[in-house]
Amino acid sequence: MILANYVAAACVFGLGLYTVLSRRNLIKIVMGLSLMESSTYLLLISMAYRRGSTAPVLSNPQPGQTAGSLARGNVADPVLQNFCLTAIVIGVAVTAVFLSVAVRVAQHYRTLDADRIRALRG
Amino acid sequence: MSAAERLGRDADAGEPEALHRPAVAGVLAAALVACLIAALVGVPRDGAHLPAVARQALEAAEPGWGIAEPVNEVVYGSRGFDTFGETFLLLAAVVSVTTLTRRREARSEHAGSQGEEEAGRRERDEIDPVAETDHTEATARIAEDDERPQSGAGNALTYPDREPLGSPAPEHAAGMSVVTRTAARTAAPILAVGGVYLAAEGYSPGGGFPAGAVLLGVVLLLWAGFGTQRMGPVVRQDPVEALELAGAVGIIAIEVLGLLIKGSVSANWLPLAHSPTTIFSGGVLQAFSGSELIEVSTGLTLTIFALLAMRHDWTPDEDEVEES
Repeated sequence: MILANYVAAACVFGLGLYTVLSRRNLIKIVMGLSLMESSTYLLLISMAYRRGSTAPVLSNPQPGQTAGSLARGNVADPVLQNFCLTAIVIGVAVTAVFLSVAVRVAQHYRTLDADRIRALRG
Repeated sequence: MSAAERLGRDADAGEPEALHRPAVAGVLAAALVACLIAALVGVPRDGAHLPAVARQALEAAEPGWGIAEPVNEVVYGSRGFDTFGETFLLLAAVVSVTTLTRRREARSEHAGSQGEEEAGRRERDEIDPVAETDHTEATARIAEDDERPQSGAGNALTYPDREPLGSPAPEHAAGMSVVTRTAARTAAPILAVGGVYLAAEGYSPGGGFPAGAVLLGVVLLLWAGFGTQRMGPVVRQDPVEALELAGAVGIIAIEVLGLLIKGSVSANWLPLAHSPTTIFSGGVLQAFSGSELIEVSTGLTLTIFALLAMRHDWTPDEDEVEES
């Protein structure tokens, strides 16, 4: 019932979006963005899964099988697993940039409240 | 009230939350979730056939690249150009964080300076003897002094075990207890070897990416055990930056040589080992993975340490002092 994973990913994305839109604390906004990123990991890995499949690893095939037969058999999608790796690295990088901006904002304005960063208004 | 508490209070508890904000956010988020679910219902599920590109990656891994790990074939081979772009996105993020977190440069370091930095240093560091210093201010100044790299010899930073447990913030202890430090010393080399193995011989999915993250974990473990004061001289920014750029240059060289020798970026131009899953199998995949290991471990280390090195500002605001 992989559809439950898809729905869970959509809900986690929605929770992250809700956090970003409703919170004023910059750290909580960054946490909301991280939730949105995490939902994409769940979605990509769920989309890569195939019922009854094995991991896309061709070493140590079972007796009677070869690496070639494993590759033609029921295996999870390696391309989407690659996308998940890419998304994790980009997520880490983006979160680090956001956090450093948040720290600088806190040092400059003495607050993490997005509403109090007046210089961004008008 | 500490500065951290004050920051939190300002953001969420200082003023009553406007009711329209969560209501509008809830409606928008719910609408988007509904749209996403409607779209995802039509996405192929776990009973669908694999896409042709996935099957091609699976079937090309061993005969084409001599590896038994199709995810690595995708990451560094058939979609190597994606990884190339992603690597430089990571590099751009590292440069951004380093730029955002760097300390103020001394004016005397700039060309054309008349030595203002040195001339004004005494006055800048001087504390007004007339001004009254309360306990909060005095504690904050001690904490700021303790964070300066030059102070530390012979104080609590060098001997973290002397700091009594449960001391109120700001904390002076820069390292953990001798038990933790011994455990870190024991675990770090084992984890480091395991991390390099992931990229070199283990053929984990992603190769250099998870291996780089493991090496970052080793550095952070040591930092947590020994503290900034001890780890600062080991993890110096300049050599780590040079190492990271060497990894980036290695990736560029691998891709460009593929274009020049084989006519295609990410094409394999190295001989393949006879048997898969050896350190020499994989051709340029293995070289790409090794360069990625350097790039990811050093890039993430630079990012984390740049964030950790951001100086605290313990001095309270004037209005905060009045409140207390």
